[in-house]
Amino acid sequence: MSKTLTVEGDIGSADTRTLLTTQGSVTAPSLVVPAGMSKIDKIIVACASEGLAAGAQSYFLRLGGNAVKNGEQAIAISAAGMIAVQSGSDAAPQLMPAIIMENIDIAVSPSDNLTIAVEGAGTDTGTAHAVVTLIFA
Amino acid sequence: MSKLYRTRENTVSAVDTRTQLSTLGSETAPGPLLVPQGVTKITRIIAAQCFNMGAATGYSALVRLEGPGLSQGPECIGIGAGGVPVATGGNGVNKAIAIDMEIPVIPGNEILIFGEMCGTDVGSSEFVVTLVFE
Repeated sequence: MSKTLTVEGDIGSADTRTLLTTQGSVTAPSLVVPAGMSKIDKIIVACASEGLAAGAQSYFLRLGGNAVKNGEQAIAISAAGMIAVQSGSDAAPQLMPAIIMENIDIAVSPSDNLTIAVEGAGTDTGTAHAVVTLIFA
Repeated sequence: MSKLYRTRENTVSAVDTRTQLSTLGSETAPGPLLVPQGVTKITRIIAAQCFNMGAATGYSALVRLEGPGLSQGPECIGIGAGGVPVATGGNGVNKAIAIDMEIPVIPGNEILIFGEMCGTDVGSSEFVVTLVFE
């Protein structure tokens, strides 16, 4: 048996722990580990920047809260770079297909709360957007 | 025991230079990355890097693992390469790659993670590396 939990959000500032607490039209999804689940088995994640500032940034996920038995776990997601265009021209988009990380095996306690945050480190490349799905087992 | 995830990142701005990844975003001094108690090996490395496209040239990217926490000595892993033809208008994102491996470790000892850009100076490159202990 498995169960999913998805959150998303903007990552607006560099070097800032940004909590993901929304799910599109669902503005306050539950961040409680579903009953009967004991671990995070898979993570599906993507994060890319709009590229409105010149720089390079890396992005990583923070999984914490009192549900994570061994303390906060931090996991690399992606890295982005951008250099300003010449006047009158356009830059390519940033497109990141989601990564599916298998066999993650992070121990969690059911019915406790998770905090899910994404952080962009380095030099700001503009606002990024992240989406994270946790698959519990 | 479940898996433990430890991450460090940093900017690599000099070519052919080992640069330690010693920060974690808003945590500017997270301290040494010590091998957690109760684990025996690194079973996966998750890494991403991208450059700022500040110079019209190309490079490759390495991750180096060093320190007394590695019982078999240092490791070096290629994680990507890139380049741009002009130093204007570049824009891109690289997803993290996950590399399954089995590197024995010594609990309580430090592992140093370095990023390195090779080839020609492309400006700077941002690295993030996760070690998965088991």
